[in-house]
Formats: sequence, structure tokens, C-alpha cells
Amino acid sequence: MTHQTLHPHLTPDEVELWAQGLLGVARTMHLADCAECLATAERERKLLRDLAQLPRFAPEYGFVDRVMAHVRVPTPSGDFSA
Amino acid sequence: MVEWAKDGNEPAFRELVRRYERPVFSLLYRMVRDRSLAEDLAQETFIKVLNGIRSYRPEFKFSSWIFKIANNAAIDHLRRRELDTLSLDGSPHAQTPEEMQATALQLGARQESALDAVVSRELGSQIELAIARLRPEYRACILLRHVEGHSYEEIAQMLDLPLGTVKTYIHRARNELRGYLEATRE
Repeated sequence: MTHQTLHPHLTPDEVELWAQGLLGVARTMHLADCAECLATAERERKLLRDLAQLPRFAPEYGFVDRVMAHVRVPTPSGDFSA
Repeated sequence: MVEWAKDGNEPAFRELVRRYERPVFSLLYRMVRDRSLAEDLAQETFIKVLNGIRSYRPEFKFSSWIFKIANNAAIDHLRRRELDTLSLDGSPHAQTPEEMQATALQLGARQESALDAVVSRELGSQIELAIARLRPEYRACILLRHVEGHSYEEIAQMLDLPLGTVKTYIHRARNELRGYLEATRE
């Protein structure tokens, strides 16, 4: 039985869990022995951090009013007011 | 808030738009990379959501419902644009390269507009450019997962895809993003 069979490389799901700090101790230990998985996991963590830090953009001022101009608000009886 | 809106409470409608306008607009903007178009698609999304609020089923997360409609709007637009782009190559009935060239739409060198400058300022970083290179299905999945923070299960529900497909798309998208980013650093 080979080392790789006993301690398989991390799956993409496990790499994501590790990057989020959610991977169990037993599987995290694999990173101490496997430079390949450690390099992948570190690149993945950087990517996920960069994605999570992307800014949110806002539409132009007055967006809510422009939407509401086309919305029919139902009355409690089920009719539409506009 | 949704229940208030269903009861015809106009401030609740407005609050729902305010609460979701940034995430929805940001997703659409990154999908189509055109501010004005993203705003039209966001407006279309909210109008559909609010006019159909009575058909909303609470077993579905409200945010998932909005993102599902927004994503459909973006994908429909991108498919239409792809068809338009193909037609730029010339008539599908052309039988020789000369006929193709003669019937092709000539765009010429386009001057960069002020709007293009805004897009390149807002979406010009390496990671934004890498996201733009992903195919639309991968782009939607990666944005919903890692920018908006939805679970794989929610994304599968939103995009009407099997869970395994969503996972595959996201893993492939992350591999492609890492590849693009590493290539630009070299």
C-alpha cells in the first residue's frame, strides 16, 4: 500500500474547506507531508480571498424610482394599484 | 419584508429593491461588462420579481429567486449577443471567402468612449479580466459562489443545474482563473 493510497491528495472540495479554515485536522495534516497539495491549497486560498474582496457596484442614482415606475403594487384585495 | 410586499406595502417593495440592488447589479455588470446594459437587465429583473411577488414560493430563498431571474436575463442577453457577433462574420449564405468578406459588417477602429473608460476603471483589474474570460456559465457559478457567498445547493437551484455540474463548473472555473492569473504574472 503506497503513501498516496493511505494519504490521498486533497480533493477540490477539501482544498476549498481548508481555504475557509473548515477542513478537519486529519486531512489538514496531509498538507504537512505534501508540497504539491500545499502549493495548490495556498494558490486557492489567495484566489478565494481575492474573489471575496471584489467590490460591489451600485446602479445609477434613482434606480429604485425607475423600477417602481413599472411595478404594480397589489392591494390587500388582490387588485393592482398602479 | 416579502410578506409585507405581498400584502401591497409599497415601502416594502422599495426596501427589497434597495436591499438587493447592489448584489444583483454587480452580478449583471460582471456578466455583461456594460454599465448601462447591466442597469437595464437589473431593472428588468426587479420589475419581474416585484410584479410576480405573489407567485413567490417561500420554500425557495428569496435571494435565490432574484438571482435566478437576474442570471437568466444575463444568459439570454449573452446568447443573443453571440448570435449577433456571428453575423458580423458575413452572411451565412456566402459560399466563398470573398462573399463572406463582402457581406461582413465592418466595424472599423472604435474610439474608446467615456463609458468604456468607466468599465475599464471598474473592471480592469487582473482578476476582473480573468473572470471576463470564463465562459458565461462558469462566470455565473463562480460569482454566485465566491463573490455572493451562495451554497452549491442554492446555485444548483438558481441555475436549474444538477449539483454535480455546479461543482464541476466551479472547480474548472477556479482552475482557469488560477491559470489566467499565473500567466499574467509571468
